[in-house]
Amino acid sequence: MTTHTATGPRTIYTGRTTNWPVIVPTVVLAVLLVAMGSTGEGGRGGSGDFAVIVALLAIGIAANILTASSVRASAGPNGFDVRWGVVGWPRCVYRLDEIQHAEVIDLPWYRVTWGLWWSPRGTSCTVRSGPTVRLTLVNGRTVTVSVPEPHLAVRAIHEARRP
Amino acid sequence: MRWTIDHASPERLQDQIAGCVRRGIAGGELALNDQLPPAAELGEALSVNRNTVLAAYRQLRDEGLLEFRRGRGVRIAATEQATQPVIDAAADLLALARDHGLDRPAVFRILKELP
Repeated sequence: MTTHTATGPRTIYTGRTTNWPVIVPTVVLAVLLVAMGSTGEGGRGGSGDFAVIVALLAIGIAANILTASSVRASAGPNGFDVRWGVVGWPRCVYRLDEIQHAEVIDLPWYRVTWGLWWSPRGTSCTVRSGPTVRLTLVNGRTVTVSVPEPHLAVRAIHEARRP
Repeated sequence: MRWTIDHASPERLQDQIAGCVRRGIAGGELALNDQLPPAAELGEALSVNRNTVLAAYRQLRDEGLLEFRRGRGVRIAATEQATQPVIDAAADLLALARDHGLDRPAVFRILKELP
């Protein structure tokens, strides 16, 4: 990733949004899984398939917690950086010269994706409705990201683009 | 929250970063238990070394403003400590202004005119 030379004042915005609609069912599923394990359900007779199902569920739960529990964004001279979950992956970086326009939109609930969605027209990293950052890239694609203070994020991009 | 640092300033970068957190707490941008960005990510965004960010975080932890928890990252541990000295100084200022025959609006005007 290209970074701007570190000289003079530098203002950035950082924000983190928790993806509760993913965390809550994941935790419920994990509790059920532990309860099933502790009571030995399915452990008797023909347990091979059961073990595989449990292993797959456990992997799914771990993957959800690690990659979809929250979305962290930073905006500033290095562009707009979006990272997911505990480990910061998946990660999307949009440099300033890739961004044509940044604005705050009011996202309706039926357009929330509750995770990372990619389509030829755009990328969506939304976990709640309401004010949301919308970037329009120079290639025509749009990027929609949930951040706690979208106006501050857009302001940081506009300030970074000023000569 | 917004972070502003000046690489050309004579003030140490870690002090500037710590100052951003203090301002965030005082201004209400950061609340109790809010999580701060990981040092590596903030360092990359601010173009400073992650150890500089860690030094700022440790400084604030030693002051009791932050807590480090394994698996939960760096979180705001207190919100009162940062503002109390300013509140005390403001109360002293208002008392001094009263002694000199100045009311609150006059003090606000003086504060606004300060650089």
